[in-house]
Amino acid sequence: MSKYKIVGFISIILILVTSVLTGCSSNSSKEVSSNELVTIEFWHNYDAGSGQVDILDKLINEFETENKDIKVKHVYLEWEALKNNVVTGAATGSLPDVLRGDIAFVPQFQSLNVLEEMGALSDYIDVASEVLEAPNSTAKMGDKYYAIAANTNTKILFYNKSILKKTTAQVPKTLDEVWDTAQKVSDSKTIGMVEPWTGIWNVGPYIWSEGGDVLAPDYSTADGYINSPVAVKVIQKLADLYKEKALAGPSMDPGAVGDSDGWASGLYALQLDGPWREKSNIEAGVDYGAIPLPAGSKGSISVLGGEDFMMFKTSDDAHKKAAWKFIKFMTGKHAQVEMAKVGQMPVNKEALTDSEAIKAIPLLPVFSEALQTAKARPVTPKWSEMENIIATKVAEAITGKKEVQKALDEAAAEIDKLIKESN
Amino acid sequence: MISIAGKKTIRKINWRVYILLIPGLLFVSIFTFYPIAKMLIMSFFNWKIGYQQVSDFVGLDNYKNVLTDPIARKAMVNTLVYAVVTVPLQIVFGLLIAVLINGTKRFSVTFRLGYYLPVITSWVVVALLFKYIFSNQGLLNFFLSDILHIVDGPVGWLSTRWSALFIAMLLGIWKGIGWNMIIFLAALQAVPKEYYEASSIDGLNRRQQFFYITLPSIRGTILFALVMLCIGAFNTYTPIAVLTGGNPAHETEVVLTWMYFQTFNATGKMGYSAALSMIIAATIILITIAIFISLAREEN
Repeated sequence: MSKYKIVGFISIILILVTSVLTGCSSNSSKEVSSNELVTIEFWHNYDAGSGQVDILDKLINEFETENKDIKVKHVYLEWEALKNNVVTGAATGSLPDVLRGDIAFVPQFQSLNVLEEMGALSDYIDVASEVLEAPNSTAKMGDKYYAIAANTNTKILFYNKSILKKTTAQVPKTLDEVWDTAQKVSDSKTIGMVEPWTGIWNVGPYIWSEGGDVLAPDYSTADGYINSPVAVKVIQKLADLYKEKALAGPSMDPGAVGDSDGWASGLYALQLDGPWREKSNIEAGVDYGAIPLPAGSKGSISVLGGEDFMMFKTSDDAHKKAAWKFIKFMTGKHAQVEMAKVGQMPVNKEALTDSEAIKAIPLLPVFSEALQTAKARPVTPKWSEMENIIATKVAEAITGKKEVQKALDEAAAEIDKLIKESN
Repeated sequence: MISIAGKKTIRKINWRVYILLIPGLLFVSIFTFYPIAKMLIMSFFNWKIGYQQVSDFVGLDNYKNVLTDPIARKAMVNTLVYAVVTVPLQIVFGLLIAVLINGTKRFSVTFRLGYYLPVITSWVVVALLFKYIFSNQGLLNFFLSDILHIVDGPVGWLSTRWSALFIAMLLGIWKGIGWNMIIFLAALQAVPKEYYEASSIDGLNRRQQFFYITLPSIRGTILFALVMLCIGAFNTYTPIAVLTGGNPAHETEVVLTWMYFQTFNATGKMGYSAALSMIIAATIILITIAIFISLAREEN
């Protein structure tokens, strides 16, 4: 090989390497002057299958027509990918300008120090006053707001009418009757209840409705809360049902049929679940009914779900300004009603009473009733870790691996250790 | 003169080789060596991945946390059991089938294809198929209870730690046999036919030929398979992730599924995960060295 060839070869390698390296960093330069076109990146997990992405496209078009200087580039990411991309993007700063994701993401992302304090925006209070207070409480950490509610949901009790009819069981009116019904309808071909997971998202409503709680109100300890007599009694009830094969779920038993498949095949009779269950039951042709969670001794307290809009520190001022404008558009009545037509429960107060929205979500009145008393899970940075601890210990208790009291005592001790470490 | 010219040629060839090696070396350095070095560093820090966050040096705390974590220990035991069961069985069945196919004159391509098919099938697809077969309302339970009527209700094949791991191991073995068969078949075909001819004249039967000629001749290949399968067993992820997701209550977790859980589900416990992966890497290296030493000793 001649010298020239060697030099040529090395140059090609150098060019390749530099182009790869500069390619990686080109995304991070977002500087623009004020009158130039600003393109904001919007990550979300609106469901394409139910037409939500089509509505989003339509809304973005309308927004861009109103705001000629802003362009919105939306990127769909599945739930887990959405979270993981922010987790991995936090280190490099390659994050979007706006994100619409699970309310549980807010404390997690805030602990990564990536969220913009939206409460500091001059008109945040005005915009927030137009949305429901309970869902927006998920955006608040301490006394600061790091997000704004995008849409909300809660869980209500779905029941398979055919199974109840066949076994002459009545629709339960109290939480105790829920357990009785689950027991009564179970046989070799039917399982009374399904809970896909054992976190507070799943067992929280039962504990709250009986007057228990997960953490102290100031989040300072879990001892005396998650292992309180009330919580132990509720988990013991679930453990009894599991033992009698009246309760199933993949996190307690990996061989259990998933909830959607189980509903479709008529295996499960009862489930406390969100609006998506309505949709999948209609698609599967299940004869179902739904009521707010029947009350326990301290009322009917379901769990608050839904999504929030978030903005990121990594964006520059022009992008932040455009992002906020877009968020205001998306939380406005028009966009919220449009999204309700494809199954997204509105947070905008005007949209909630809109006739078109109610027409689109037939169970909206049932959900609205449940929303009145629904409770958000603790909004604290380590919450996801805490809920994982609870899910593991509750699964151990339900499957009979450990005594309920012992498992929940361990959960309290582990959570308290976590609280101590993060202080 | 001749010798000088000869040296010059050698140097020229070396240069060319080095230059051709550069891209590969760069690739391996950036995507393999650098991450390993970085992970080693991370394992000594409470590694924060947040935006502009500072990570604190914590010494060996992450290692201590991993080694005192009951779930991590359970995951390590599960992985070890998985390796101890699946590696020898894959080799035994792979070798057995290779010997049988090597002896057949007709349809050998058909058999090879048949046994190799699971290898080229996607892990996710076969793991899902296994899940459909072994789940509570799955094919096997349907067969046992509705057709044969030998069990009352569904048998929880995937419901408890050891039975679920057994199914995962079954999947691992079934999927791995084909790879072993191909590797051993190639090795068997390289054993000179003369050995067998000579030994049969000396009066060795088939069984003796297998133990005194075949096995010693393919010793290197067995060593290679052993090392590769051990690494593979420690890297098992998909069968567990799909079949059980580590459930119930992390009972069926293997090291990689637990590492993934700690990294992403528990929001970025990077230092912990880095320490866990360094421990796995060290274990694999130790096992490999042990295999080499024990086989070298036997040879001596």
